[in-house]
Amino acid sequence: MAELTYREAVAAAIAQEMRRDPNVVFIGEDVAAPGGVFKATLGLLDEFGPRRVRDTPISEQAILGAVMGAAMTGLRPVAEIMFSDFFAVCWDLVANQIAKTRYMTEGQCSFPLVIRSANGGGVSFGAQHSQCIENWAMAVPGLKVVVPASPADVKGLLAAAIRDPDPVLFFEHKALYGTKGEVPDGEHVERLGEARVLRRGEDVTIVALALMVPRTLEAATVLKREHGIDATVIDLRSLVPLDARTILKEVARTGRLITVEENPRACGWGAEVAAIVSDEAFWDLDAPIKRITTPHLPLPSASNLEDAVIPNVARIVEEIRSSMD
Amino acid sequence: MDIVMPQLGETVSEGTVGRWYKAAGDHVDAGEQLLDIESDKAAMEITAPATGRLLRILIDTGTTVPVGTVLATLQSDSETATPQFGAASGHVPASAPSPAAQVRANIVDVTNTSDPGSAASGPRLSPVVRRLAREHGFDATALRGTGREGRVTRRDALLHIAATRNTGLEGAGQARPLGPDFLPFNRIRRLTAEHMVRSKATSPHVLQAVEVDFNGIARFRAQHAVRWREVHGHSLTFMPFIAHAVCRSLMAFPHLNASVIDNGLRLHRNVDLAIAIDLGPGGLVAPVLRNAQALSVAEISQRIHDISVRAKADRLRPDEYSGGTYTLSNSGTFGTLITAPVINQPQVAILSVDGIRKRPIVIESASGDSIAIRPVGVLAQSFDHRAVDGAYSASFLAELRRLLEAMGEPGTATDALADEFGIAP
Amino acid sequence: MIDNTLRLRLYRSMLEARYLETRAHELFLQNLVKGTTHLALGQEAVAAGFGNAMREDDYTFCTYRGHNHTLVRGASMTGILGELMGRDCGLMRGKGGSMHLTSVEHGAMGSYAIIGAHLPIAAGAAWSAQFRNSGQVATCFFGDGTTNIGAFHEALNLAVVWKLPVVFVCENNLYMEYTPIASVTAVPRPAADRAASYGLLPIVIDGNDVEAVHMTACDALAKARSGGGPSLIEALTYRHGGHSRADPAKYRPEEEVQAWLARDPIPRYRAQLLELGVDTQMLEGIERECMAAIDEATETARASPLPPTEIAFTNLWADGSASWRN
Repeated sequence: MAELTYREAVAAAIAQEMRRDPNVVFIGEDVAAPGGVFKATLGLLDEFGPRRVRDTPISEQAILGAVMGAAMTGLRPVAEIMFSDFFAVCWDLVANQIAKTRYMTEGQCSFPLVIRSANGGGVSFGAQHSQCIENWAMAVPGLKVVVPASPADVKGLLAAAIRDPDPVLFFEHKALYGTKGEVPDGEHVERLGEARVLRRGEDVTIVALALMVPRTLEAATVLKREHGIDATVIDLRSLVPLDARTILKEVARTGRLITVEENPRACGWGAEVAAIVSDEAFWDLDAPIKRITTPHLPLPSASNLEDAVIPNVARIVEEIRSSMD
Repeated sequence: MDIVMPQLGETVSEGTVGRWYKAAGDHVDAGEQLLDIESDKAAMEITAPATGRLLRILIDTGTTVPVGTVLATLQSDSETATPQFGAASGHVPASAPSPAAQVRANIVDVTNTSDPGSAASGPRLSPVVRRLAREHGFDATALRGTGREGRVTRRDALLHIAATRNTGLEGAGQARPLGPDFLPFNRIRRLTAEHMVRSKATSPHVLQAVEVDFNGIARFRAQHAVRWREVHGHSLTFMPFIAHAVCRSLMAFPHLNASVIDNGLRLHRNVDLAIAIDLGPGGLVAPVLRNAQALSVAEISQRIHDISVRAKADRLRPDEYSGGTYTLSNSGTFGTLITAPVINQPQVAILSVDGIRKRPIVIESASGDSIAIRPVGVLAQSFDHRAVDGAYSASFLAELRRLLEAMGEPGTATDALADEFGIAP
Repeated sequence: MIDNTLRLRLYRSMLEARYLETRAHELFLQNLVKGTTHLALGQEAVAAGFGNAMREDDYTFCTYRGHNHTLVRGASMTGILGELMGRDCGLMRGKGGSMHLTSVEHGAMGSYAIIGAHLPIAAGAAWSAQFRNSGQVATCFFGDGTTNIGAFHEALNLAVVWKLPVVFVCENNLYMEYTPIASVTAVPRPAADRAASYGLLPIVIDGNDVEAVHMTACDALAKARSGGGPSLIEALTYRHGGHSRADPAKYRPEEEVQAWLARDPIPRYRAQLLELGVDTQMLEGIERECMAAIDEATETARASPLPPTEIAFTNLWADGSASWRN
């Protein structure tokens, strides 16, 4: 085991896969020579050279078109979209081209590509550089959506995403880049589509993603210590494929479901999870399903304002506590 | 308030609506006859539980519905009508042929949300509480709730169930008895039951069996059991040998490693071997060893041990539950002779391994027949007769037996096992 | 070098394309082709000229007006007509439709319905070829309207900066859907006048002169194949029909239409071939063969069953499955 930061795990994963497979290539804006604006891809240009690690112009459509064309002709490309908000600039390539083409051509081509991006807020970058948009991707059939919360999962899931034969949108959280965690030595590959139960308790099941995972774990500690409420906490890790089975199983055990979502409320990923649970585990529910989310607003820039809207530990504790009997 | 189909006998699960004596919109007096109902055990009348107006008739004459189905809704005149249990309160006609001693109403929704007149007095019952009440046949509104505003919580319901199970008969404060002779199915039991019925309805099951002389394997085990345990931390049982031989036989008889789809047989390239494990109250699970045909006996042994431990600790991964192409079921721990197992859909066959016991058998040789004592067990396969015929299944079983009886000989799987293990075969 | 063998191939290619599109039109009128189609009648020379200059393993990307481009790469007529009619024998078993004709085995890497999207994708395929040193070239066909969309700019810029083996071919048929291109473009030649912005030479050709197209194609492909980077070619042409089936194209002045019909690439080339001494009977023979091929393909496609409904639930993912959750 080694201790890596979340950002180091990104470069480690890409390097691991690039060593293993000569067809893995990586492009993006300021990713090669500068090592990425978040310093998440340092060292890759040095190790693999400019043929495999390339800086591009500010051309999101061209970047995604390039990886789509390369993926359909034998390469395994990784692209970076610097801030996930920028996906709006090239959403046609994502939603209409990459996501749909295999289906439309009845399997004539496949797209083993990964698009990684810095997602989420909490660092006062303002509304156009802070949104959580993984729910946009979940809503498009044909995309796999991965959202890691820890350095070990960054390494293992990014490696798995690169090995996956389908298009994967990999959402790193910019506020987590500096966090540290134990990462297994040697080759580390996780599996997509598996949620992880991080904590088991009898009273309520909480499902969270990315930045909301450490906050929820902290809230669970407070809930137990100060209110005697013992929570099960699930890190969902993938939105597509969704591990509904684990959620349903854990809800059956506790009878309650809470989702903690950083995205703006309407149509967040938790709404889909809530719908699945209310359909398939209705007869296991002891209380209405509660979603703790950022309100349906763009994000304000000032730190205190941002903290007032993105779910923090205190709010998570209070909303869960008040929902219990 | 709802008028529901009552339970017309202990083993009865449905009833048929007979004649309606009232129509929607009619005024009814308490005790007035509303309709006749019958089952194959009893017939009875249902009377109005209160004075008021019959709002809607939901089930027509001649229709058979499950117990608990709402047949009609009635609006009682009384503003503060407390929730009732439906109208079937114990009116069993003396002429009824049913041996049932009492009639129970199986309540689904006691607080009628469609009736403003009798709006719920207090918080509603949650879905899980309603289900538990339905499954275990008690009236949840009669329980004292510890939740907010006196709500009956899931915990309250579970505690109640545990308490009445312990006391056997009616507990204090309970309006409806559970009864000592009725064990409602829990969810796992129900799901198992559904799967079993469906499997039998889908596949025409045929049972075939062979007796296998496990002498070679038994001797190998006897020689190496202690060492194996030291090295691997678990016992070397018969199962890994059997699993290994099953995989080899399936490679030779691939139609048994298949699924019936679209009037054809979809052959599976790999053997994903499901091993049935009994978790007791947790039910039966059958986690899958993927690509088992590529595994050695030692690897199979490790994996079986690993998934058993994890299955019992409820730590199986989601993909380990599904996708098996053939199932092995170990019924042998209780020393049974033979079992006719139920096929795990969508597979086409399943093998039961029953008790292995010493028996006298006849050994033929050039110098004449003799009796020997050997460990013998029956391997019984249920196969889906849509997929294969008896001759094919029998050939598979013959090959399986051949492989197993050859183990211990040079050049067989036990050699490889010994090599891996670093011991002399 | 152009010899008679090539000439006859060019003629045959154009004829097959013409007959295919005409048949598609007829089938639409018989309600056997549903939805919409975008016919390239009149634009055959561009497809034929380029298609016959390529290597078999080159890549092509085209727009929703792509029946010809797909046919010229070698995809079967039955597959194309079948796809238009939504039958099981279709190139994509009916899952894509007219606007998305694809035959990867022939290098026809798709027809794209979002204007401009396929330019960067073609650049990507070219990047892959460059990376793998395979010598393959990607050719990307699009209309005049595409030159005004953002993806055009991004793709051209990147292709030049990375010196990618890609050829961009603008089929300027003077109209962006229903609007004259001149009225919505800042420069008179929508593609050629933008070339300099990317350091490329402006190239304008008569898109209805199949030999001119072929020669230009050979040059551009050779340049790309030898590492010389991309080209941007503006081929002037005209569509005989409307933008799509729903469009009777009344917005085009009658004299303009007549002038262009007179420059129909096929009768024009036919006359040229006869002048060069090619035998009339040879040409008639080719015409008969092409018509017979189209007729046979039509019958086969018509007899093909509808795709089984199960396939609507397959092939979202590389393993053939389509489930997004367990």
